[in-house]
Amino acid sequence: MASISITERRVGDVTILELDGRLVLEEGEIPLRDCVDRLVAEGHTRIVLDLRRVTRLDSAGIGMLVCKYMTALRRGGALKLLQPTMKAEELLHITRLSTVFEVFKSEDEAVRSFGTA
Amino acid sequence: MAATTRSRRRILIVDDDRALRHVLAALLTDAGHVVEQAGDGPDAIARLDEGGFDIVLLDINLPSVSGLDILAHARRAVSPPIVIMMTADDTPATLLSAVRRQAYRYLRKPFAPAAIVEVIDEALAASAAMSIEVVSARPEWVELVAPCTLEMADRIQSFVMQLETNLPEAVHEAVAQAFRELLNNAIEWGGKLDPDRKVRISCLRAKRLLMYRIADPGDGFDIDKLRHAAIANPADSPLEHAIIREEQGLRPGGLGLMMTRSLVDELIYNEARNEVVFIKYLD
Repeated sequence: MASISITERRVGDVTILELDGRLVLEEGEIPLRDCVDRLVAEGHTRIVLDLRRVTRLDSAGIGMLVCKYMTALRRGGALKLLQPTMKAEELLHITRLSTVFEVFKSEDEAVRSFGTA
Repeated sequence: MAATTRSRRRILIVDDDRALRHVLAALLTDAGHVVEQAGDGPDAIARLDEGGFDIVLLDINLPSVSGLDILAHARRAVSPPIVIMMTADDTPATLLSAVRRQAYRYLRKPFAPAAIVEVIDEALAASAAMSIEVVSARPEWVELVAPCTLEMADRIQSFVMQLETNLPEAVHEAVAQAFRELLNNAIEWGGKLDPDRKVRISCLRAKRLLMYRIADPGDGFDIDKLRHAAIANPADSPLEHAIIREEQGLRPGGLGLMMTRSLVDELIYNEARNEVVFIKYLD
């Protein structure tokens, strides 16, 4: 079944995850969970999810964003969102999660929002 | 990327567009499959009669023999191949004929050639034995019965939403998202992802509205006990359902009903809550 590709890179102590594909039930949600769990276990708890190439998002995908937001938070870090599509932004608004997630228009802005370690 | 030995399959491409045939053949050969081509109906039927194809990519508008007739011929084989239709003819009547004859998927031309590789991967991962039963195929009343699997949800959504390609994009997107959320709920929670259980889907189109009814084989649910769903969250606590889901060992989610309520005009459950209707007004 088609899934998602996740490209990982570091800017200082912030990990950028570029998602490309479908973040939906039984597809992209599982690789995202595994990736964030590994990062957090390795101590990389400052995470930015670049959502600009997410082609489809459903309630399970958003649910995984919430779950991994809580995972990072509990380990003293944060998970923030970069450039969600208009559709994704609408879904975050509908689900009242726009009040939970920090959302950024530029990567530089997202990285700087963490401050220095 | 080359296909593994396990996924290397024999594929027949049937299309009178020679250029498209060659592009697709190159792509699929590069992916590791064994590819044959036919440019017209008689050639396609002759090759199909030799047997051994796993997948057929089939154009509908062929000279001399309709692709729909070739589809019916292919499906009568003892071990029928998976057939993926490719056409610019997206009228509901044609689409529904393809569904009734058990086409696996329906790709509207023009499509990105790479999309075919993704659809083939999905088809190969699917269970060939599972099929969609067409109860009604009138464009204004489509009714389908299908096994409760997520792969089937993909196929049903693909077919159903292609019936409504003339909707404004925003309306189409909202209906597609709501349909998928409710279908997933029905298949996952009502049908327990059990292919032996069936979900029944009705899609009605009137002059001023679209109405979808999804009936699952489960016992329904008690809305007062849905603390693990976001609709039960206090206004100032949008994560409460997620915490409860963790405590209960449920997968992340619980946002589908909240999303659907915002995307459609009416959302109505029956008393047991194992059947749901949603309506989108068109004016």
